[in-house]
Amino acid sequence: MSEPRMTEELERMKTEYEPLLPIERKLIWCTFGSGVVLLAILVLISRAFS
Amino acid sequence: MSILTRLTKPETTSQPEAIAIVRTRLTEDWLAVWIGLFVFVLSLGLLFGTDVLGWSITTSVWTSPAKALAPASKAYATLQPALSLVATYLFLLAILLVAAKFLGANLRRFTLGFTVLFVLSYACWFLGSWAYIAATPDKRPALKIPWSLSLTNESGFIIALILGLLIGNLLPGMSRALKEAIRPELYIKTAIVILGGFLGIAALEQRQLATSVILRGICAIVEAYLIYWPIVYFVSRRYFGFSREWAAPLASGISICGVSAAIATGSAIRARPIVPIMVSSLVVVFAVIELMVLPFAAQHYLSGQPLVAAAWMGLAVKTDGAAVASGAITDSLIRAKAAASGVVFQPGWILGVCTTVKVFIDVFIGVWAFILAWIWSSKIERRQGDQVRFVEIWQRFPKFILGYVATFLIVLGIGIASPALVPKIKAAMGQANVFRSIFFLMTFFAIGVMSNFRRLWQEGFAKLAAVYVLCLFGYIIWVGLLISWLFFHGVFPPIVKG
Repeated sequence: MSEPRMTEELERMKTEYEPLLPIERKLIWCTFGSGVVLLAILVLISRAFS
Repeated sequence: MSILTRLTKPETTSQPEAIAIVRTRLTEDWLAVWIGLFVFVLSLGLLFGTDVLGWSITTSVWTSPAKALAPASKAYATLQPALSLVATYLFLLAILLVAAKFLGANLRRFTLGFTVLFVLSYACWFLGSWAYIAATPDKRPALKIPWSLSLTNESGFIIALILGLLIGNLLPGMSRALKEAIRPELYIKTAIVILGGFLGIAALEQRQLATSVILRGICAIVEAYLIYWPIVYFVSRRYFGFSREWAAPLASGISICGVSAAIATGSAIRARPIVPIMVSSLVVVFAVIELMVLPFAAQHYLSGQPLVAAAWMGLAVKTDGAAVASGAITDSLIRAKAAASGVVFQPGWILGVCTTVKVFIDVFIGVWAFILAWIWSSKIERRQGDQVRFVEIWQRFPKFILGYVATFLIVLGIGIASPALVPKIKAAMGQANVFRSIFFLMTFFAIGVMSNFRRLWQEGFAKLAAVYVLCLFGYIIWVGLLISWLFFHGVFPPIVKG
């Protein structure tokens, strides 16, 4: 079985563009948002106990 | 053929072979645990009055080559250094031949490759220990030399990396001849298992600081998975037009832990095996660039905050091998700079913090792959009969971490239960550390050999590399620095008195 080459892959991505789905947007922003909130909490905790 | 060697040859990797690669990785993980534990247990012979590994070779900073090499233990002082070196080589060859057999390697080619790997790597270590390269300013009077580069003897790692890069990029014939023994993942994971015991000693001596470092290390997980990943995924999808199949392994490769994370994510979202393989080849090349740049940047800008520099290496440098290797170089560079101003930091803490941060990130690869598998199968690409099983978390868990935790806890446990044994444990870990250094050294050399920079210029890789460059140098490195600063600012390694 022949494997696709990178150039063919990129061509295929151009012609078959997959738009961002709402669930992907949700995954991106929920993950990032929870990361920032958790980070702030952890910074506060580490300051409180250091 | 090593997993990474195969990963850097995407054009020749078939689908069944790629699936075998994922299985091989698990085997390499377990082998690293057993080899590391074997060396660790043998070193503990000192606790029972048996000096099992005292014959192993050590190299001190030298001005006269004849006085550079010596056996690790005074009990073997009469042993010729050349015999000690040969014994160390034969011991490592024997245990690694067993590992090679389990990995299905060609044993004759492995023996040949390992012999060259060992000889050249140790030659680099020897050269790196030359006083004019290695000696820190406080050591110059004793060595009677007017100047030195102050790189400590761990500059041997950098020399090994450069020699490996020269062979990998300029001598393809030699590189091919060595490939059976070019297994940086096996070597670094074995070294990390042994390192656990060494860090156990450090934790015994500074329990409060060790606890603080571990708690702060946990914060790194939040960053790698929740702050890096979504932005890299978004950039590659929105601005570079990558498909979901490419964007997810790419985001994991750049954000989390290079090769392991790209493979786990590819498998979680049911990407074709070629996708994580191509991503991994890119990760390895960029990890080498980071390894050659970031430790020196850390020495220049962060020598006043050694543990910020350490955490930064763990967060910014991808792949276990390159990250821990960066920690080792940063450790030596920053300690050398501090020594020049009269402050002697205890060795190992910078490396220890870097490794702790990296290990915490690794621990959650399986959990992250599980979460992505669940989202992909239930929300993004719904498939009938696709069920995500909890056992997959265990299957994707990097097993060498168990060895690292075991050696750390065993040393800590013995030390807490019997404080009188601490000096003996320290001597035992000193002997195990000889092998840890050699495994590190071989990792540096192997990473160099397998890093083919020409691949970056291959047609089609530019776009993949562009995402990598933009996210790594435009986002990950700086956010990593900020978060390392937030958590490790003002925390210092213990200072050696006297």
